[in-house]
Amino acid sequence: MKSLRTLGWVLVALALTVLPACNRGPSKPRVGFVSNNTAEFWTIAEEGTKKAADELGVEVVFRRPPNGTAGEQKDIIEDLLTRKVQAIAVSVNDPENQLDFLNRITDRIPLLTQDNDAPASKRLCYVGTDNYEAGKEAGKLVKEALPDGGTIAIFVGKPDPLNARQRRQGVLDELAGEKDAKGPKYGKYTLLDTYYDYVDFKKAKDNAADALTKLRDEPNVCLIGLWQYNPPMILGAVKDAKREGKVKVVGFDEHENTLLGIKDGLIHGTVVQQPYKFGYESVKLMDAIIKGNKSGIPANGLMYIPHITIKKDNVEKFHQDLNKLLGK
Amino acid sequence: MSRLLGILLMVLLLYGALLASNFEDAGSIENHRNIARRTGYFGILTLGVGLLIISGGIDLSIGSVVGLSAISFGLLLEKRMSPVLAIVLVLSGTVLIGLFHGLLVTKLRLQPFIVTLCGLFIYRGLAQLAPILNFQALWANLAGFSWDQNILQGSSRDVGIGGRPDLADLRYLASGEVSGVPMILILMIGVATVATVLLHLSVYGRYLYAIGYNEQAARYAGIATDQYKILAYVWCSLMAGVGGVLLLLDLETAQPTAAGGLYELYAITGAVLGGCSLRGGQGMVAGIILGTSVLPLLRNLCIFAGIPSDLEYTVIGLALLLGTVADELLKRRAAARG
Repeated sequence: MKSLRTLGWVLVALALTVLPACNRGPSKPRVGFVSNNTAEFWTIAEEGTKKAADELGVEVVFRRPPNGTAGEQKDIIEDLLTRKVQAIAVSVNDPENQLDFLNRITDRIPLLTQDNDAPASKRLCYVGTDNYEAGKEAGKLVKEALPDGGTIAIFVGKPDPLNARQRRQGVLDELAGEKDAKGPKYGKYTLLDTYYDYVDFKKAKDNAADALTKLRDEPNVCLIGLWQYNPPMILGAVKDAKREGKVKVVGFDEHENTLLGIKDGLIHGTVVQQPYKFGYESVKLMDAIIKGNKSGIPANGLMYIPHITIKKDNVEKFHQDLNKLLGK
Repeated sequence: MSRLLGILLMVLLLYGALLASNFEDAGSIENHRNIARRTGYFGILTLGVGLLIISGGIDLSIGSVVGLSAISFGLLLEKRMSPVLAIVLVLSGTVLIGLFHGLLVTKLRLQPFIVTLCGLFIYRGLAQLAPILNFQALWANLAGFSWDQNILQGSSRDVGIGGRPDLADLRYLASGEVSGVPMILILMIGVATVATVLLHLSVYGRYLYAIGYNEQAARYAGIATDQYKILAYVWCSLMAGVGGVLLLLDLETAQPTAAGGLYELYAITGAVLGGCSLRGGQGMVAGIILGTSVLPLLRNLCIFAGIPSDLEYTVIGLALLLGTVADELLKRRAAARG
């Protein structure tokens, strides 16, 4: 009996806590921004969304699926729809198979894709990097590092994702000097192999070490890391093999160790995206769309955020700005 | 009843906090439907492991079995196999997995923890292997007793059923609704009914409790303990298989490396919160269902209360710990008073 009475009290207490909440009403426009994992990349993007939120008086709900799975992301998006966000920007997990789900979102609110696109969906616009062009930029870095040609190896997490494919093809096309180049010779460069690690960092490093063993007698070697953690793992393997400085490294994104490697002259350069602008531009565009102004959407539905090449001459300033953004 | 009180209070408290966080949206029918769907999904897995825990066992391979089932189911559908046949095949596979676990635990007397931990790795590995296996080459090799054809081709990839209108009816199982009630909740209630009959209304249930409470005593009492333990493992893996099939139907995509990851921990936590003791011999179906709802409620609360993503795991972990402590204290008080 006593327990029933306790239960009664708890219910009364609950009712009391619930009541005041009824008065809260929506005031600012509310938009959602959903990543596809928890990488530091998204912390930078979040800063960009905050900046836009302050400037425009928008409420941004920023969420990251803790394990980066499609299921978690779906739950989060559903909850944001229930929370009545008026527009949402999503980094899509599986563009080919999630069309139904994405189009169920667009039935209710405007959808932007950012970082990873789903061109076949009814999304209004993609905000992100042109990964093919970014790949060509990295190809130029390889040409600088090995002007007389040589052997290259490419390292990336997975073969499937669009950005991995586009970056890889961009690098190879730039080296070959033609579109849709097919190897194994690309101009003056020979591709040893493309190594996949399935986002296992240890495996990423082991892959690089294996490639170095195969290439131990090659004088002109450049290892290319396509995803954020690849260049640091490559550098680690190069150091273990005591070939730092001799083996060239070119990478993508702005991992701390990549930037330090550039400062030390051990990594030739990296091509970075601007996640801050992904966040900033997405929120700005969503705000305009909510207010009925769709003029900001490019005709082809692709808002490319330019990539930047970081080399020894501009790494110091870039690193400082980045640390400021990350609050370091 | 007193054993259910702790978990009932916890669920009510979370529910109250959720409504308090944002009454208009969190209290909407849509949100209730979302929570019901998630509870329905995890309920199936939790009821699976719940019965096993009551019999004194444990299964750490649930998430990997979910992943392997989802991937195999997707691959069979890609090959345009009849969906019904594909489901039967996948579920039969999970029955074999359960049988395998059960036999290793009973006949070889291995520790369930280690058997299913190995399973966790093996089935995850198979899920990653399955998309790149070339079955034609494999059969050709086997038929010719040779090893000259390459059986691995391509590289691992996501498996999906997007853009398959012919599967719309089947997808209804996972994402449909019957007069506003999510289909998956109805499925879970079906599973719960079977579990209730098994556990609370039949002699088999008494046997499971007896085995979990004191296996040796149960054996001396003439119960075929091995047989019932194997049955519990089969039931658990079968439910994980059902979970895998539903996962693919719901999400339309499955990643070999991640699909179903950590689900074993969600299921075990739900069952233990719901009153199952990891020492075996304790637990009820109603409690298991209440325990299951804690995690979806907590996650939903994190979003509606605006708790930052970075804090989410800490909040979830602490809430679960607090719930467990409160529940334990309540139980002790109840026990002290007799």
